[in-house]
Amino acid sequence: MQKRSDDRLIAYLDGELKTAEQREVEAWLASDAAARERFAALAESANLVRVAFDDVLHEPIPDRLIAAARGETILAQQSAQVLPFKTRQATERGAAPRLWWMGLPVAASFFGLLLGGIVAYSGISKLAPGGIAGKSPAVEMAAADNLWLENAAGYFKLSVSAGDGGLVDVPSTGDPREALQKISQSLPQEVRLPDLKPWGLNFKGARLVVADGRPAAQLVYTTDNKAIGPLTLIIGSSKEPDISPTLARRQDVNLLYWRHQGRAYALVGQSDIGYLWGIANDVAWQLDAI
Amino acid sequence: MSLSQRLAGSPVHLVSDRDAASTGFGDQLIAVLPRLRRFARGLTGSVVEADDLVQAACERALARQHQFQEGTRFDSWMFRIVQTIWIDQIRARDVRKEDSELAERLGSDEPVRRVEARLALDEVRRAIDRLPHDQRAALLLVTVDGLSYKEAADVLRVPVGTIMSRLARARIALQLQLEAGATRRSGNDAKAQ
Repeated sequence: MQKRSDDRLIAYLDGELKTAEQREVEAWLASDAAARERFAALAESANLVRVAFDDVLHEPIPDRLIAAARGETILAQQSAQVLPFKTRQATERGAAPRLWWMGLPVAASFFGLLLGGIVAYSGISKLAPGGIAGKSPAVEMAAADNLWLENAAGYFKLSVSAGDGGLVDVPSTGDPREALQKISQSLPQEVRLPDLKPWGLNFKGARLVVADGRPAAQLVYTTDNKAIGPLTLIIGSSKEPDISPTLARRQDVNLLYWRHQGRAYALVGQSDIGYLWGIANDVAWQLDAI
Repeated sequence: MSLSQRLAGSPVHLVSDRDAASTGFGDQLIAVLPRLRRFARGLTGSVVEADDLVQAACERALARQHQFQEGTRFDSWMFRIVQTIWIDQIRARDVRKEDSELAERLGSDEPVRRVEARLALDEVRRAIDRLPHDQRAALLLVTVDGLSYKEAADVLRVPVGTIMSRLARARIALQLQLEAGATRRSGNDAKAQ
């Protein structure tokens, strides 16, 4: 008789025992309630481990990986992933829990048209003084997009580095909607305030930034939970066509950005994609931006 | 055409000077990509890092495709490449800093009650993140990907007995962590009531 231990139970679970050994373990399980309980717990945790990574198998493969497998190089390669929002029905508040992991369909990676190039005037003029003339449209677009993403990450990092002290033009004092009304006075369209308290995020205030050559609102949210926040939501206007939410990473910051009916949105933070995507769904639902 | 291409137009691909033989090799690689991504996701705990890791593995595999022995398992060869690159990466990092950040993150009081649906699987992933990397790799290969102990031992280049002991330690540690999480949650629930 082999030693009775968790190792034996685990090997039995994994189908790694020989027939005689299997019978020994089965006899043990039949006679020992504690062993049965232990076995059930191990089986359950093994199943959880499998399920925890199941979604990955069903995600579309990013283009950059397919290109890499074929020995190709994607020009102006940057990691970006399209993350389609859940449908309006699925995001009805209170109708269902936020099962972000059930529906995380990470579509192919790409680097084509992005959010319309939200770029600060000064950033563009300094970083690309002569434009990017002479290069192909794809290169030109990629360069402009990259600038925008760097810029959006920069806005976020600026707000984080300022801490509690500043970089909020209109602080959230009293009624947070008041801050938005003030900001909206400088914007072509009214900006509404998404309530992210269910995520533990508190609205800190708003700031005007330059987006796609137009003023845009940067909404700053903070939380004590470092796994989620702080977060910044940039809302601007855009003449570019709608795009699905797309993930990118710049300066160690995650960005989820999308366009909808003339509005450009970017959610920026250091939280993981799951949280970011869940929060973006919430924002899109609240602002009718799906 | 993928969703991203439909939305954004095809990305510009620059095809390297590989011969037609690479196509078959590339097809094999593409077929195994979902499993490689899952393995890498478990190792790194990050979507972006995982895909970076898989991309690096693809590039290395293509560069060394002459080293692949026909008649052996292609998936095991690729798992080994992913694992090797991952080990190289974590050795190159400031491990103490990483551990400190991880401990801080794990110690944070996540608003789990707010996002109940993702709690259990999130907890499992975090528990796996906490495992030593050698145990994590064994767990991912055997429990998640279903490799036999012998196959996992080949991938990780260790004896089968080592796989068994790593797996046992990983599963027991995981079990303890999940039990602790359940206890903590029930305590929180009691307080909330």
